[in-house]
Amino acid sequence: MTTTESPRVSPGRPDRREGKSPRKRSGRPGAGTLATFIAPGLVLFLLFVILPVLFAAYVAFFRWNGLGGVPTDFVGLENFRNLLQDEVFLGDLWRLGLIVVLSLLVQLPISFGLAMLLHQRFPGRTAFRLLFFVPYVLTEAVTAVLFRLVFSPRRGFADSLLANLGVDSQVGWLSDREIVMFVIFGILTWKFFGFHMILFLAGRQNIPDELYEAAAIDGATGAQAFRSITLPLMGPTVRMIVFLSVIGTVQLFDLVYVLTGGGPFHASETLAITMYEQGFQRNQIGYASALSIAMFLISLVFALFYQRFVLNRDLQGSITTAGNRS
Amino acid sequence: MRNPLLRPRALVAAGAAAALALTAAACGDSGESDADITWWHIQNQDPLMSTWQEFADDFGAEHDVTFDVQPIENQAFKDRMGTASQSGDVPDIFHTWGGGVLAEQVEAGLVQDLTGKLDCIDQINPIALEPYTIDGKLYGMPFDAGVVGFWYNMDLFAEAGIDAPPATWDEFLADVQALKDAGIAPIALAGADQWPGHYYWTYLAMRTVGLDGLEAAAEAGDFSGDGFVQAGQMVADLAALEPFQPGFESATYGEADGQSAVMGEGLAAMELMGQWAPQAQRDNSGTDGPENLGFFPFPTVEGGVGTTTEWLGGGNGYAVAADAPDEALDFLCYFMEPENYSRAITEGNLTPVAVDTAAVAPDLNEDTQKVVDALATATGTQLYLDQAYPPAIGGVINEATEGLILGQLTPDDFVSMVNEAWAAEE
Repeated sequence: MTTTESPRVSPGRPDRREGKSPRKRSGRPGAGTLATFIAPGLVLFLLFVILPVLFAAYVAFFRWNGLGGVPTDFVGLENFRNLLQDEVFLGDLWRLGLIVVLSLLVQLPISFGLAMLLHQRFPGRTAFRLLFFVPYVLTEAVTAVLFRLVFSPRRGFADSLLANLGVDSQVGWLSDREIVMFVIFGILTWKFFGFHMILFLAGRQNIPDELYEAAAIDGATGAQAFRSITLPLMGPTVRMIVFLSVIGTVQLFDLVYVLTGGGPFHASETLAITMYEQGFQRNQIGYASALSIAMFLISLVFALFYQRFVLNRDLQGSITTAGNRS
Repeated sequence: MRNPLLRPRALVAAGAAAALALTAAACGDSGESDADITWWHIQNQDPLMSTWQEFADDFGAEHDVTFDVQPIENQAFKDRMGTASQSGDVPDIFHTWGGGVLAEQVEAGLVQDLTGKLDCIDQINPIALEPYTIDGKLYGMPFDAGVVGFWYNMDLFAEAGIDAPPATWDEFLADVQALKDAGIAPIALAGADQWPGHYYWTYLAMRTVGLDGLEAAAEAGDFSGDGFVQAGQMVADLAALEPFQPGFESATYGEADGQSAVMGEGLAAMELMGQWAPQAQRDNSGTDGPENLGFFPFPTVEGGVGTTTEWLGGGNGYAVAADAPDEALDFLCYFMEPENYSRAITEGNLTPVAVDTAAVAPDLNEDTQKVVDALATATGTQLYLDQAYPPAIGGVINEATEGLILGQLTPDDFVSMVNEAWAAEE
């Protein structure tokens, strides 16, 4: 690449031409520009993400009530050891797994099916798309308050409805330790299926109709077209939704906290609720930090592995070529 | 074009977990505002919510200071106070129950020593100051003090054929059974809130080992004595009768379908609750409450050393931030000025802490009078354990009582959980 004769160099800025690196002329921003645009984001990221993570990792080695000054009572790995023996923490992991599995097996297929339906042309299609998306717009706290009313014993909407149908409901929707997680899963599904559906729908609309026309000409049935065209080409969308769904589940907090507070007796507790109660209600910041580090590691390890082994094809070009340019 | 999005998303995902850590580490919900005095209180329902606001407005106009008054629901207040304390920036005036929670805030240097700074303090009954006195110094001003006991719906008791409140635990269990047989939910309980449940274990321990036994156990951090195991077993025995209203496991205290509303509507026969219960029953149920509401002390336990004149109790008070302006102190005394204080007592049915009760409240509401009488003849009192002990231990007692009531923990589990919490706190 020559430098002086590059047609991209602006003729209006001749004085800057000399002594400047060839990179700039090849259309890439200079160090100053890079710094200007990256710095604000980077500073915020360091200040509000990296620094707190490091601080939490530090605090996790102390017994500290968070009040006044800095932690001084160094206890080594004790907080982490206690964590691994804490039945509540282990229960949180089990419930995390339960919600993830149910989401993948029930929630995502429902959203996928609805997306396929709403891709068809029929009257009122837009209205349905809009309606299904509405629950996602509500904040989690509002959703939780809403469903506390719905599942209020005896006089809530759920029990009243059943009573009108002649069923005397004795179900403790939120008070029965055996079923509360399934009720919460139902609410999560109600809240998020519309969001997943819209993403699936967008993925489906990206598939060109020509492929289906070609398949039809070749004599493929609808089922064959679905299996050989729709499913493979929806792959990237599915993989991304699974990713979002899992990460979202790890951080599940507001909805469950307002709905049940994690009860009855931990039956619906999540990692974030345990962390919150230990840290802010019992002033055990050291222990809660250890828990937050565990959550961080779970998210991080999952994110890295998922990207490396599942998303690697979808990500080609965005990770690997960065170093090859120039 | 999803791919370019994925990279930042991954960072966001990884970072979001970290953001939670951030909240734990650095953030705080403080009383940050432009007003001269921030005031957090838990009288979040009328009539007192408006009365408190008027006090602030009137005082503010008189002394040319601005107020930021925040009425916060009880449980939410505890949460916000926790984060505010950790951030080191507490409101100028905030609600307190005294005890171990206040002591921890004092130790962190967040609370102003009020000793000798309040001119109005001699108007207050010295006994009421005890929970707010730490190492001989006063850190809070009470505006209400009372006891926890059984508030019962006399009509429902009569319906079940019970003519006198139970005096012993065995009689109590028999009455619970009688109420059940009559198709009445015997007890209203807010299982999800945990603290209403902890009154049962605490009272049973007070009746088995007595106040001295409880104090000795707290000092040694050892609750393995037989009396404590027995108290746990008795909670479990009570729960085994299934005496609570349907869905109590997820019920809270103050919601429209919660413990106090259930009592207010006459859907349960009794609740073990403090001096504020009758007012809360009316406020939360939107009714006038049970027509005939009675009050009886927690029954005695056969073979136990505790008596019915030993009460679990406590009050409500205000503490002042270490860096609060002097007007905050003046406001506390403005609060105690006879006309204001008697107005608060009358409107909110508070239990007065004044030395001269008759002067501020010549004719008390009859429910309040019952609490005042109980306090006047008390031979000993114990502050609610979840406030008396540091939060880490109080929290475990609340949690473990819920476990006992739901049959998820044995009395021995309970004792070892509490002992472990004490050991960790040493």
